[in-house]
Amino acid sequence: MWHGAGVDPEDRLTRDDASQVLRRAARLARPYWRTALAAVGFVAMATSATIAGPLLVRFGIDTGIRTENRSALGVAVAAFGVVVIFAYIGSRRQYVLINRAGEGFLRELRLRLFAHIQRQSLGFFDEHKAGVLVARMTADIESMSELVQWGLLQFVSAGILLVVALCVLLVMSWQLTLVALAVLPVVVLASMRFQRVSNEAYLEVRERVGTNLSTLQENLAGVRVIQASGRVDEQRRRFFASNRGLYAAHLRTVKASTWYFGVVEFCGVAATALGVFAGGWLVGRGDVSVGTVVAVVLLLASLFEPVQQLSQLYNTVQAATASLKKMFDILDTEPEIYERHSAVDLPRSGALIVDGVGFTYPGAQRPALSDATLHVASGERVALVGPTGAGKSTLAKIVARLYDPSVGSVSLGGVDLVDATLSSLRSQIVVVPQEGFLFNGTVADNLRLADPSASDDDLWDALDRIGARRRFELMPEGLGTVVRERGSRLSAGERQLVSLGRAALVDPSVLVLDEATSNLDPGTEAEVEMALERLMSGRTVIVVAHRLSTVRRADRVVVCDKGRLVEVGTHAELLSIPNGRYAALQQAWLSSQPAVSDLTQG
Amino acid sequence: MADSAPVGSGIRSVRETNWSHLIVLLKAQWVGISAGVGLGLVWTVGKIAVPLLTQSAVDKAIVGDGSAFVWAIGIACAGLFTGVLTAGRRFFAFKESRMVETMLRERIHDHVLGLHPEYHDNAQTGQLMSRMSSDLNQVQMFVVMIPLTLSHVALILGVTGVLISLDPFLALIALLPLPFVNVSAKLFSNAIHPAVLAVQAEQAQLSTVVEESIAGVRVVKGFGAEAVRMKALETEADDIRNVSLRAAQIRAKYMPFLELLPLVGLVGVLGVGGLRVIDGSMTIGELVAFNFFVTLLVWPLRSIGMTVAFGQRAAAALERVHEVLSVEPAIADPPEPLVLPEISAGRMGAVRFSDVGFAYGAGARVLDRFDLDIEAGESIAIVGATGSGKSTIARLLLRFYDPQQGSITLDGIDLRSLRVDELRRTIGIVFEDTLLFHDTVAANIAFTVPSMDLQAEAGRIRAAAELAGAAGFIDDLPDGYDTVLGERGYSLSGGQRQRIAIARAIISNPRMLILDDATSAVDPSKEHEIRSAMATVMDGRTTLVIAHRPGTIAMADKVVLLDDGCICATGKHQELLDSYQPYREVLAALEPGESEAVVN
Repeated sequence: MWHGAGVDPEDRLTRDDASQVLRRAARLARPYWRTALAAVGFVAMATSATIAGPLLVRFGIDTGIRTENRSALGVAVAAFGVVVIFAYIGSRRQYVLINRAGEGFLRELRLRLFAHIQRQSLGFFDEHKAGVLVARMTADIESMSELVQWGLLQFVSAGILLVVALCVLLVMSWQLTLVALAVLPVVVLASMRFQRVSNEAYLEVRERVGTNLSTLQENLAGVRVIQASGRVDEQRRRFFASNRGLYAAHLRTVKASTWYFGVVEFCGVAATALGVFAGGWLVGRGDVSVGTVVAVVLLLASLFEPVQQLSQLYNTVQAATASLKKMFDILDTEPEIYERHSAVDLPRSGALIVDGVGFTYPGAQRPALSDATLHVASGERVALVGPTGAGKSTLAKIVARLYDPSVGSVSLGGVDLVDATLSSLRSQIVVVPQEGFLFNGTVADNLRLADPSASDDDLWDALDRIGARRRFELMPEGLGTVVRERGSRLSAGERQLVSLGRAALVDPSVLVLDEATSNLDPGTEAEVEMALERLMSGRTVIVVAHRLSTVRRADRVVVCDKGRLVEVGTHAELLSIPNGRYAALQQAWLSSQPAVSDLTQG
Repeated sequence: MADSAPVGSGIRSVRETNWSHLIVLLKAQWVGISAGVGLGLVWTVGKIAVPLLTQSAVDKAIVGDGSAFVWAIGIACAGLFTGVLTAGRRFFAFKESRMVETMLRERIHDHVLGLHPEYHDNAQTGQLMSRMSSDLNQVQMFVVMIPLTLSHVALILGVTGVLISLDPFLALIALLPLPFVNVSAKLFSNAIHPAVLAVQAEQAQLSTVVEESIAGVRVVKGFGAEAVRMKALETEADDIRNVSLRAAQIRAKYMPFLELLPLVGLVGVLGVGGLRVIDGSMTIGELVAFNFFVTLLVWPLRSIGMTVAFGQRAAAALERVHEVLSVEPAIADPPEPLVLPEISAGRMGAVRFSDVGFAYGAGARVLDRFDLDIEAGESIAIVGATGSGKSTIARLLLRFYDPQQGSITLDGIDLRSLRVDELRRTIGIVFEDTLLFHDTVAANIAFTVPSMDLQAEAGRIRAAAELAGAAGFIDDLPDGYDTVLGERGYSLSGGQRQRIAIARAIISNPRMLILDDATSAVDPSKEHEIRSAMATVMDGRTTLVIAHRPGTIAMADKVVLLDDGCICATGKHQELLDSYQPYREVLAALEPGESEAVVN
């Protein structure tokens, strides 16, 4: 809940940008127009009492009281009562309808944005930080929900009230209205100024709240280091500074609103004073009736509230517009990996050909991979080794079409991956990432990620094939075990088993593995090793290797360095190359840990 | 965040003490708060004057023949008076409520930061954060209402008095619907609060789905599982819409009622009041004044209803705050602290554990009758199976915990006789997972010396970085020592972070160094980078090494093998390896895959 509160320059839009954004939002909201239009009708109904009230009081005074006509007074009272009930019905309905339209729109926006984010290829996720994307889907959309719940309603009803009340006033007595409304420009100017000042002040508060929370979070997360460094007092001082900064920002908003509310209060009463003054004069001349003066004075009071509301609403609208703009920017990003119209299904084959592949990450100076050519036979096991940044992970990702190569091609069974349907691609080539990543839900939910239509029996079979069935059978809730966020209720080894189970469920012909660097608990280590071995048998395997044992079990080894495949061959072949890279790697390893090497050889 | 689960093991106490945290602060701010209350009370006079002046103006100048000018001036003056007071009342109410919120946040923060690590083991950061944000918001919203509500009560009493003196029966008719406004405002506030919380809870769930889908994007893409995640998101989006619409229904139920109820009183005033005017027992001006007064009361009545609801929420929030504040720190400074002898010629940092017994909470003993001598300048590696108490030794040395039995001394002085900060500053520690702060590289290295001037002592920072083998890569960073690190800053590799941590541990020239699993979170192929840095800083300094990996263990002068809370063997790494079978077994169990790592 703490992310997304930051303020960036994008929060300040130009007028042109803003109107463009709002027009586009209106187009998106087209399905909800009918409901919204109906809501406007009910809003009009709801405001009727505010307008009609003073008019009926005027009628009661002039036609009833002043002429001592009791039945006319009765009519005024009855009509007033009816109008109140009428307005009540409209008011109830308006809340329901406007929210139905607004929440429907927000739901649509959430789905559309998420679907679009999901369509993006991996490069997009390298460029956009996870926190930012989450903020688009949460904080930014939520910033519009205030508009939906209150804003639209207030906007429409304030608008209607303002226009109708003004018309009624002018029709009743334009002279009286003009005099009384001499203060209106002051209110409008004050509102505009307030809106500007408070907008700045609120932006600053949002920013300060964000930094204060991250200072807080950092101090709580780092409490052990802070205490161990004897730095508690210093961190207290720092938090004090940031917390007082937040207070100062709050105080600015308080000051901005303080004088504004004072001015509006004064102007409201001043309008009454002017109305009374002009009224006394006009009644004396016989130009207007007593009832009219009273009605004008009463209506004036309901004229100032909408102006105030509209000025406060402006901030909300502005925040929502900024959010919409950021969302549209994402919606305008075209996914890089997509399915061609002429796409064909990949054949069931494990023969993989990497042909002259080069790849440069967006914004990078030099290519991460260049001129990579590799022919992998069906069922062959190839290990990729080399230092960090040598291009082995990039090659693995290109083989699985998580990226498309900048030059060259990758084909499976003779079909270029770029020409393949995405569904056949995902069922023929499966990537098993370093650590088993699990989603909140049950073990079954997590397995079904690979195949939503799989039955429970299919899931058990898949686990059986990798020898992991028993472990999950022993859990009291079996496949129904809830794994919690990131799978925290399972051990690292169990998470890895679920991850391998997914791959087994798909039954692909090519497996792309990224071997874990850290170790599992000794209990499950062996089990995971065995499951992996079973999963790999009979399939083409490309493994990004970190362990010697894995490398030794591979049919061929590819040594990567600075984006090139520098040595390709069997373990023995590569060792025999004089001054070879692979031989050097092996040597570096052997000399670094003489003490334990004999320990595990035995 | 609808959690009410207690954080940590606070002692529950009576409700009064919950409020006492607030009352202390209100007392501290009494000048501003009284100013707000005082201005609010004077404000009511102006508010009541306006309708009364309007009444006289209507009767004497509009219906009658008097001059409207005088009355208009009077009304305008009353307007100016209320305008100024409205501003003043509002200013003090908001200013002081924000101040109270700010100070309470500092109190909680300062308290929590001083609590023993055991408390933090059990507490959830998210919950503590919500104590210091959303709970304090509830308190602030209530405090702001205090001066406002007092003046609103005065206004209601004043207006009721005036109306009754004008016409008791008409006053009854006009005011009859108003108590319902108050009651339903309170009902509304209570009904909408859980609905709003439900919306927030659903939003949090959607956020989880999005976070997971993005963090696990490789899995989603790898299996083409976009549709599955889409479905999960759709469920959450539907839930949000549904609970939001439920909240809208609650608004639809109460809001129109609240808005239109006062008009019922006005209908009655027009009817009954109109008849009285025709009878001649009332003036038109009085009728207009009645109208004004009824409208005047609507907002105060609504706000009193809200205040009651806010008060209930603030009470609940304060109770949760109290749970945190009532936890006593388990580790505290002694009343008369001793001072460690001066560091001279590096021959300092002798540690002695004698007959130490320790258990976490009510658990089994982790250390039992534990004795250990570390000579000044000596380095010792502690080796043992998981759960053998290795890290406990480090925690006891730092006084994160105190032993239940026996004593630990540093240079001959019992740790409990030292000021906690002095003790901790004199021990440098490198943890398994290094936490860097959102600050520059220089500030992160100087972290353990709070008083350091980063500009003036840049040389000292650089020297520490060089000793830790970090100077090389720091120079390559975009802004060198001014590069900002941390979660939102530049991200370093595991090995680089550990070297910064080592620089941080040694810059204060500690009399003792603890390396607690300092290499285990690092990619095995990068371990050598840290190892050479460690060798440099350990030279001639008392060092306690807690490690899994043989390469790291081998660096210490002496190895202590821990089993079941006591020492079962002592010696050099190679000797133990050659001659002692249990040692080999422990090492093999600790790092099954280690020996196979490919070093690049």
